[in-house]
Amino acid sequence: MEAKADAGALMAAPALRQSASPRPLTRILANRSVRAALGLTAFFGLWQVLSSVGVIDDFLLPSPVAVARALWDLAVDGSLWIHLGASLQRVAVGFVLACIAGLALGLVCGWWRTISDYVRPVVEALRPIPPLAWIPITILWFGLGDAASYFLVFLGAFFPAFVATYTAVRSLDRNQMNAALCLGAKPWQLFWDVLIPASLPIILPGLRIALGVGWMCVVTAELIAAQTGLGYLIQQSRMLFQINNVVAGMVTIGLVGFAMSAILERVERKVNAWAPSERN
Amino acid sequence: MAATSALVSQPYQGHAMTADPADIQIDIRNVGKVYGTKGQDNAVIALDGVTLKIRRGEFISLLGPSGCGKSTLLGIVAGFQAASSGQILQDGRPITRPGPSRTVVFQDYALFGWMTVQHNVEFGLKAKGMPKAERAEIARALIATVHLTGFEDKYPHEMSGGMKQRAAIARALAPDPDILLMDEPFGALDAQTRVLLQEEIARISSDAGKTVIFVTHGIDEAVFLADRVVVMSPRPGRVREEVLVPLPRPRTAEMRSDPWFVSTVNDLWETLKPEWQKGE
Repeated sequence: MEAKADAGALMAAPALRQSASPRPLTRILANRSVRAALGLTAFFGLWQVLSSVGVIDDFLLPSPVAVARALWDLAVDGSLWIHLGASLQRVAVGFVLACIAGLALGLVCGWWRTISDYVRPVVEALRPIPPLAWIPITILWFGLGDAASYFLVFLGAFFPAFVATYTAVRSLDRNQMNAALCLGAKPWQLFWDVLIPASLPIILPGLRIALGVGWMCVVTAELIAAQTGLGYLIQQSRMLFQINNVVAGMVTIGLVGFAMSAILERVERKVNAWAPSERN
Repeated sequence: MAATSALVSQPYQGHAMTADPADIQIDIRNVGKVYGTKGQDNAVIALDGVTLKIRRGEFISLLGPSGCGKSTLLGIVAGFQAASSGQILQDGRPITRPGPSRTVVFQDYALFGWMTVQHNVEFGLKAKGMPKAERAEIARALIATVHLTGFEDKYPHEMSGGMKQRAAIARALAPDPDILLMDEPFGALDAQTRVLLQEEIARISSDAGKTVIFVTHGIDEAVFLADRVVVMSPRPGRVREEVLVPLPRPRTAEMRSDPWFVSTVNDLWETLKPEWQKGE
């Protein structure tokens, strides 16, 4: 942090190179949350200005203020929370199922090469099929209910979870495993005290990506195969020509996804504080 | 075969305090190791007919250039890999897998990065099922032995190489092994730290009365520490000669200027030079 602040000071004000404390503005801009807030503000600000001066046709894209008003109305009449809650519940169920399956299969394939030789070709052949292409079959199997959404989220989140776990176990340090074995580690200790913590620096970012994909999948599923949820809100608003609500739904999806990712990143930084990639 | 034919010029005189000439703890019998399939072009003979009897309490240095199979031999004694031919007995029983009676100190430390020093050292005690309070106490005592008191709650990435290796030595001593296997443990350290740790190991091994196999390519280090230096030659790895070290225990810094020490190191260097040059 300090080093970065100093570097910023050097670039901003070469004349002050000798000065011990950087100028207040430089110090504030060194805060990464401040930078994030500024970036977002600039984005929405530019969008608003372009809408206000008429460069953006509000029939094609409503202004941020109009979207905010639509969001407010949806929040006040409660429908936003119902849709958001439905989407979150679906992504949670599908994501948890995908984590269980992805971690289990990833661990098994990472540990036993022979099993991986049989299983991985199947996984790698299924992986390129986008969840969207699964929709007809999903509706055939599960109908238009929550189960269809669970399944699509599962499909989206499973593969990143599997690949990350498999990679993590494969790249375990041979010497660390040997050290544990020669110290007399019991199987449970090898698993919980060595294998899992050693793998988390690779597994957790994989799970974060899996949650992001799952979040995209739930919206996709709801566009077609659900009667609630943010995807359904967007679809329904489109049919009613409520473009403001369409964009309000999109903005909610974006912000919630951003928040989920930010929370998981925080967890990662805490859990993997020891790992080289998490330092600084 | 090689060990018996090559040289022991004088009878063993029992320099290691606890060593009884008849009390063989590790019996390496005609051990060979081939990587790849025997007879094929890509097969590499890492070890060929290595025979070596190690007495209880004896400190053995395995000395040789890279590629002489000394680390491979250590790995087989540890139980990390199997010999292609021949066998190794520990107290009369064949070694089949790693276990807490033979702990290993690795060149790259192989500490568990997600654990504090305290928990690293406790690992082998936890494996034994020892209660928490007891293992904490033993670990603290061992941490004091390697002069790391005050660093119990540090993580490996917060410490220097020398400190990491001290922690790894304490961890290896924790299960109270019969045999300590050290695989070029000071190879990654700077010259000053290496000398300090050599003296530490001389003191600790002498106090603890462990049998030690110490793999190194440093001639002075091999002679300074060992009761017997086993010199290996590369391609295929064989025992080339053995040198008995008559210096008293515990070894201290001033012995490095002992005329016998100086001339032995020089003689070894002269005999090994051609091989070392070939290896470069």
